Amino acid sequence: MSSASAHWLDERRALAANRFAALGVPHRRIEDWKYSDLRTAIDGANDDAAASWKIATLPEGIELFDLADVGAAPDWVKAHLGTLPQNAMASSSFAHARTGFAVRVPRNKSAEPLHVTFANAGSARALVVLEDGAALTLCETLVTDGYANLGLEFIVGANAQLTHIRMAPHSAGAVQVEQYAVTVAHDGVYRAHFFNGGAKLSRAELQIALAGANAQAHLSGVSVLGGTAHADITTHITHAVSHTASTQLFKKIAGGKSRAVYQGRITVEQGADKSDSRQTAKALLMGERAEADLKPELEIYADDVKCAHGAAVGDLDANSLFYLRARGIPEAEARNMLVRAFLEEAVDEIADESLRATVWQAVEDALPGAMLP
Amino acid sequence: MLEIKDLHVAVDGKEILKGLTLSIAAGQVHAIMGPNGSGKSTLSYVLAGRAGYEVTSGSIIYNGEDLNALKPEERAVKGVFLAMQYPVEIPGVTTLTFLKTALNAQRRARGEKEVDAMTVLKTVRKRAAALKVSEEMLKRALNVGFSGGEKKRLEILQMSLFEPKLAILDETDSGLDIDALKLVAEGVNALRSPERAMLVITHYQRLLDYIVPDRIHVLAGGRIVAEGGKELAHELEAKGYEHIVGKAA
Amino acid sequence: MSVAHETKKQVAEIGEKYKYGFVTDIEMERAPKGLSEDTVKYISAKKGEPQWMLDWRLAAFKRWLEMREPNWARVHYQKIDYQNAYYYAAPKNTPLKQSLDEVDPKLLETYKKLGIPLHEQMALAGVAVDAVFDSVSVATTFKAKLNEAGVIFCPISEAIRDYPDLVKKYLGTVVPVSDNFFATLNSAVFSDGTFVYVPKGVRCPMELSTYFRINASETGQFERTLIVADEGSFVSYLEGCTAPKRDENQLHAAVVELVALEGAEIKYSTVQNWYPGDENGLGGIYNFVTKRGDCRGDRSKISWTQVETGSAITWKYPSCILRGDDTVGEFYSIAIANNFQQADTGTKMIHLGRNTRSRIISKGISAGKAQNTYRGLVSVHPKASNARNYTQCDSLLIGGKCGAHTVPYIESRNPTARIEHEATTSKIAEDQLFYCLQRGIPQEEAVALIVNGFCKEVLQQLPMEFAVEAQKLVGISLEGSVG
Repeated sequence: MSSASAHWLDERRALAANRFAALGVPHRRIEDWKYSDLRTAIDGANDDAAASWKIATLPEGIELFDLADVGAAPDWVKAHLGTLPQNAMASSSFAHARTGFAVRVPRNKSAEPLHVTFANAGSARALVVLEDGAALTLCETLVTDGYANLGLEFIVGANAQLTHIRMAPHSAGAVQVEQYAVTVAHDGVYRAHFFNGGAKLSRAELQIALAGANAQAHLSGVSVLGGTAHADITTHITHAVSHTASTQLFKKIAGGKSRAVYQGRITVEQGADKSDSRQTAKALLMGERAEADLKPELEIYADDVKCAHGAAVGDLDANSLFYLRARGIPEAEARNMLVRAFLEEAVDEIADESLRATVWQAVEDALPGAMLP
Repeated sequence: MLEIKDLHVAVDGKEILKGLTLSIAAGQVHAIMGPNGSGKSTLSYVLAGRAGYEVTSGSIIYNGEDLNALKPEERAVKGVFLAMQYPVEIPGVTTLTFLKTALNAQRRARGEKEVDAMTVLKTVRKRAAALKVSEEMLKRALNVGFSGGEKKRLEILQMSLFEPKLAILDETDSGLDIDALKLVAEGVNALRSPERAMLVITHYQRLLDYIVPDRIHVLAGGRIVAEGGKELAHELEAKGYEHIVGKAA
Repeated sequence: MSVAHETKKQVAEIGEKYKYGFVTDIEMERAPKGLSEDTVKYISAKKGEPQWMLDWRLAAFKRWLEMREPNWARVHYQKIDYQNAYYYAAPKNTPLKQSLDEVDPKLLETYKKLGIPLHEQMALAGVAVDAVFDSVSVATTFKAKLNEAGVIFCPISEAIRDYPDLVKKYLGTVVPVSDNFFATLNSAVFSDGTFVYVPKGVRCPMELSTYFRINASETGQFERTLIVADEGSFVSYLEGCTAPKRDENQLHAAVVELVALEGAEIKYSTVQNWYPGDENGLGGIYNFVTKRGDCRGDRSKISWTQVETGSAITWKYPSCILRGDDTVGEFYSIAIANNFQQADTGTKMIHLGRNTRSRIISKGISAGKAQNTYRGLVSVHPKASNARNYTQCDSLLIGGKCGAHTVPYIESRNPTARIEHEATTSKIAEDQLFYCLQRGIPQEEAVALIVNGFCKEVLQQLPMEFAVEAQKLVGISLEGSVG
């Protein structure tokens, strides 16, 4: 069956195409892309190619739908696909992508971890729907090369729990652009951890709406960058109603000539009282020519809130380093210890032991490159 | 001086005080004892007029006036003082500035002449020594970084400075070691006078060894369940609340 | 009624509390309405400027015609019609008096009403004042005493004539002519402002201060201030501003340039109390200001302190270029926005030299339906080894209809640099308010007390003479807002 035959889809794709046409490929003069000049990085590459995705085994109880057959989409796909906010690049991927998948975890069902891998270059879309009370751990790995533009939508129902681990190992030549649009209903929880090894340009943008009371989002991540790698994590969490909570903890190591970027915006809308939001971003520069850019932003329209952010860039604490060396630990080893301790705090946010070990292994693999000056 | 009749108070729609009746005459010291959650702090807040403590029925008459109709600052001006269990920290505002602001606000409201900083300092100094409140403490931001004992001593210093007619001491003994407790109790006893009534709220009998009350009321489940002289405190200490409360029920 | 509710109610009951809203009835001389090359020439001629200055202005004007008004700040306002305003207005026949006795008594009366006594015998001890009324400086006090110390303190129009070499050497070197839309406009049409030069090794013997007053209607004020602190010198400078209450919006686009040479220190304080508009957002000053200091010499220091309580719109980012090694930049700010005021203010700390240090303390208070944004950049360049920055941004909201926003940019390109940023947003704690009320302090006074405590770190940076004034102003601004 042709993928583009449904009317509902044509309409949504046309809207997305118009939006992209109006916005164009972002570049550094666009405020939100100040530190990630996509236009220069992709240099005319197009979004018509198809990135591939692979789910090795489908855990029991999860419904999977291949978006290549989107014309025959079931109601739950029609109800959600393309309904969450799209930035310029997500508009492009939605208009252009002909590959992707949609999964649904039914009401009150707790599924085993779902592993998905995106590969090659081009566009792809994904839709993850957790019905009320459902629970899922989504492990996503990027092994793309060239230019890939991925748009993912996560619908977290009431009382549902989505845990998301996103691994992007180093890929020197790749340009990775992702948008994650997430909506969390009341008492739902979205937890995510982002590992970045860096690419020629890597941009992961999260648009999260805490749409119901007691909805929560907890984000953490580490970027371990060396060489000329670039990794940009941009988050925008909207506390749309009262009694919502969010936390963020991002740690970055930048060696060589790499560039670590964090932009985090928290919006508390009018009337969203009793919102609680905490945001921390820290970077250590290891390379003489490395760069860190942090922009933790608060946009608050309600008075009865607790919002705080902290950001820091620096090198290793000289006192700690001295203390370790005074105890006979050679400098290189002492530095390694301190760097690991720095990153561990963010990785420790992953509750599941085996997933934490997987992420930590990726950190270990990337560290030698990031420790080079 | 204070007549509380069949007082019902709700917090967040939940009834905490359920028909409390109590009266205190000038010159007397009464103690309210009671287990956790009996409504002791609610009573102190409702007397001071804290927002969110809603009188649903009953009355509080203070010197012939309906206390509940007054704003918190009006009550303060008329001589109601609440020494708080957890005195609040106000960063950036020095203790002395705060004392001067409060003293002058009360004087202004009473139609008295305001006093300058030097006069306030002299007045405070006179009283501070006895309570071991140092000059250095007065220069620090209000309650910020104060120890538990320092905070409580400062509360009593304020009581001495503002010379209230009705002083309510909410768990003034909590978090104090024995030496600090004695110091605070001495401060309170020095302020006993025929014109002044005091309501001492406490969980433990210990404080009442030092501030000996004329009468003790036992509060449980939002009502006074037992009353008696100072010996009641020892009975409570020996037999526990369960015994008295159980007997009343 | 809950305390929060009560506070909100009182926020709504803003009174007419702006006490500087009067108009001085004085005969004015104006440039023809609108903005053209002729306007620029008119202003230059009025000031009796040399050709080089006119050329400089004309070049700026030409550049400005090609520029677009910036729109990145979180402020919204009706498009400004640059042709529907006067660019020069001066009290008739009062340019540059040799003695205060010659100054129009109406002007002296005006400044007296504003609490700025110009008569030297009446003046605040140790504070020299330059009074700028619309487009001209009408009086400068203590000139003789300052001259003894070698300090030049005069209207910039006078400096252009009397010290052309100094002005040429430094004007436009910190804020280039084409820096931004408003700065370029200012470069074309600036009318007056203050010039200060402190010679090598001199510690300026008194506080210097300029008092800016907008009086004429439909008139913009475009002042230009240039302060040069030569090697090893020190100067503390304060500016104050007020304007009449009017239903129209008036534009104020100033440029301030500071140059600190080796070992010099400049302390620049602002108490900005332009008319903020009424409780419905009608009227008020549009305050678009470019302020920048250049720590040009090693071990120099520039410290900005601002108390921003006025203006319908505030758009200003007093910044420091830490060019020399071991230089220090500081920014201490209190911004209060009430009713429909919009403030987008902050700083830039540009670390270029080694061992440069900067400190940012920002306290924002929002009330009514106001929007208050802190926007700041800390940028460490590759050669700025061991650069240090500490930033603390705290926002306080009073009522649920206002906004408080924090937009920090942190960019580091040196591995030995250390930057720390912390920000919090909260409301006045209910228990703090209750504690004050219980001790007999009325709500309005309690709020002022707590807010002053919240702002203390910044208030104590102000020169003694002004700290008390500023503290009262914080109270008054909120008096309008909190009852």
